[in-house]
Amino acid sequence: MIDGQRLEILTESAKYDVSCSSSGSNRANRAGGLGNAAAGGICHSFTPDGRCISLLKILMSNDCVYDCEYCPNRKSADVRRATLTPTEICELVIGFYKRNYIEGLFLSSAVFGSPDRTMELLIATVEMLRREYHFNGYIHLKGIPHADEMLIMKAARLADRMSYNIELPSEQSLKLLAPQKTKQSLLLPMKSLSNAITYGKVNKVPRRDAVLPAGQTTQMIIGASPETDGQILKLTEALYRNMGLRRVYYSSYVPVVQSSLLPTVGAGLLREHRLYQADWLIRFYGFDVDEIVGEGENLSKEYDPKCAWALRNMQLFPVEVNTAPLASLLRVPGIGAKSAYKIVEARKYGKLDFEHLVKMRVVLKRAKHFITCKGKFYGSESVAEVKNCLLIEGGREINEQLSMFSETSVALSALTGEV
Amino acid sequence: MKIFICDDTPESFFTAVFDAYGIAGAVITSDGNFQLSMGDEPVRVHYDIEKCDRVRRVLKKYGAENDVLSTLKSCDTRKEQVCFAYVKRLTELKKSIKNAFNLPEVVDFNDILYKITGETHRLKGLLRFKETAGGVLYAPYSPDNDITDLLTPHFAARLRSEKFIIHDINRGIAGLYDGRGWIITHVGEAEICLSDSELAFEGLWKKYYKSVNIESRPHERQMKRSMPVRYWKFLPEKND
Repeated sequence: MIDGQRLEILTESAKYDVSCSSSGSNRANRAGGLGNAAAGGICHSFTPDGRCISLLKILMSNDCVYDCEYCPNRKSADVRRATLTPTEICELVIGFYKRNYIEGLFLSSAVFGSPDRTMELLIATVEMLRREYHFNGYIHLKGIPHADEMLIMKAARLADRMSYNIELPSEQSLKLLAPQKTKQSLLLPMKSLSNAITYGKVNKVPRRDAVLPAGQTTQMIIGASPETDGQILKLTEALYRNMGLRRVYYSSYVPVVQSSLLPTVGAGLLREHRLYQADWLIRFYGFDVDEIVGEGENLSKEYDPKCAWALRNMQLFPVEVNTAPLASLLRVPGIGAKSAYKIVEARKYGKLDFEHLVKMRVVLKRAKHFITCKGKFYGSESVAEVKNCLLIEGGREINEQLSMFSETSVALSALTGEV
Repeated sequence: MKIFICDDTPESFFTAVFDAYGIAGAVITSDGNFQLSMGDEPVRVHYDIEKCDRVRRVLKKYGAENDVLSTLKSCDTRKEQVCFAYVKRLTELKKSIKNAFNLPEVVDFNDILYKITGETHRLKGLLRFKETAGGVLYAPYSPDNDITDLLTPHFAARLRSEKFIIHDINRGIAGLYDGRGWIITHVGEAEICLSDSELAFEGLWKKYYKSVNIESRPHERQMKRSMPVRYWKFLPEKND
C-alpha cells in the first residue's frame, strides 16, 4: 500500500490544477462492478481554502524531464520526487471510493522517461482500474503532450474526461515559457479527441463504448504573459465552438517560481473572476466575445461584463418581464439563468408584477433598472444614476466574493462539481 | 378552527387531506408539531385506505405524488399544512403547479422540498462508510430530514456488489443493502468491529485532505457554507 509521504508529495504537486469537477458523465454500474458516475457531479468534502474535493487529484510522478519556467516540478527545481505504481494508485482509489471519500480519480503526471512511456503507464493504471477492479466511477485523465495518437485514443476509451492544458494563451508565450511543449502538441490531440467524440455522437455509438462521455477541458494561466482579456476570450470561444470543450479553466498567475522571464507580481483574483463571468456569458447566456470585449482590450474592472454590455446598449432596455423572450431576459444584468427560467415558467400561470419577482427571489437590485413589470418601471431614469447604482452593487459583491480567496474559481469549481 | 392531527405517516396525511378538504380554515398538523390555542377544535385522523387512495390518485394525475412524499420527510414543523395548501391549489387549478413559482403556496412548498433534495444531494457526498471486519460497509449519520430512503437507492446502484448499512442515529432508522436489494428498518444501537485496513485508509484520507489544501489561501467561511459544521461529526478528515 502507498505510504503517507509519497501521497503527500504527489498531492501537493497536483493541487494547483483548478479542475475538480466530476460532472457530465452518467456511466452506469455494470454487473459485478464498483461505482457509477452522477451526471450532476458530487462534492465529497471541502478544504479550509474553500475548494471542493470531488476527485482524488494526484500525480503518478512528479519526476519531470521538462523544464517549464512556471512549474514548481520542473527538472531544474530542487523538490522531493516520488512515483507511484499503477497497483498502488488502484488500491488507493478503490479504498477511498468504497468509503465514499471520492467520486473518482483525476490522474495526471509529470513526464518521466518519455511522453509515450508516461502515457502508457497512465493508461495501464486506468485500464487496471476498469478491467481488474471493475471500477465504473469517474476518471479524469490528463493528456501528455507529444504522446502517440494511438495511445491517446486508447486512453479516451477508458476515461470519462481528458484534458490538455493550454497553459499559456498564445503561441509566443508558450515558446518562451514552456519551450518543450508546442502549440501543435496540445491542439492536435485535442482536435483528434474532439473528432472522436463527434464521431461517437453522430454514429450513436452505444454508451458502453462511448469516448469521453464528459468531454474535454483545458486550463490556462492568466497574467504570466502579456495577452489581453480579449485575446484570451477569443481563444476560449474558439475552443468551445471548434473543439467542443466543456470547460476552460483560468488560473490566476501566482509567483511561486523565481524567474527573469516571469512577472514578480500575481495577476490578481479580480481578473480571473471577470474572465469566468465572461466565460459564462459565452456558454450559457448566448453572448459572442465581440459583444463583450474587443480583441485588444481588457474587461472592465468596475462592472461585471454583463453590466458593462448593458450600459453600452441602453437602447435595448427596459424589457417587459411578461413578454420578453428568454434570450432577452438572460441579457438583463442581475437576472441569472435560474431566475430567467423561473420567470418564463411562472408567467404561464399569470401576469407577473414586481412583488411576484421579489417573492420568487429574483434579485432586483440591478435588474430593476432594466425591466418593466406589467409596463411599470421601478428603476432609475437617468443613465448616470444607473451606472452609479451598479458600481456600488458591483463593489459590494466583489468585496464579498474576493475578500478571502478567489471565490471565483472556488465558487465556480464548487459549482461545476454540481451543476 | 378545526385542527386535524395525523401521525407521522403519509397515509395518515392523505386521509387528513380528504377530511379537511372543503372545511374553511382547516389546519393539518402531526403529533409532535401540534400546538393548541383557544377556540381550536382538535380532530384525530383515522387512517382510511379509500380516502387515502383518492387523494393519492389526484396527486399522481398531476405528477405531484413524489414531491409531496419527499416534502413530508422534512423536519419542518409546518410541513403538513404547507403540503395541504399545495394540494388545495393543485386541485383548484387542475394542472401541475410544480413551476408556478409566483404562487405563495408553491414558494412555501418548494422551500421545504429543496431543503430535502438539497440535503440528500449533499449527503451523497458527505456520507462516510467504515469497513467492518465482516466486510460490510457501515455509515452512521444524523441528517436534519428523514432522507434515508432517498439516499439508500443511490448507494445501492453505486456499491452494487457491496453490502452496506446507512444508519440514521437520531431516528433509529437504517437502510440495509445485502448485495441484491435494500430495505428501510428500525434499528437500535450498532456495535461495530472495524476491518484491519480501516484505520490505514482513514489515515491516508486525512493526509490527502491536509495536502490538497492550499494553506496560503484560507477561506474557512466558504468551506463552512458548503459543508456545515453539523455534518462534521462523521467526517474522519474533520476529526483529527
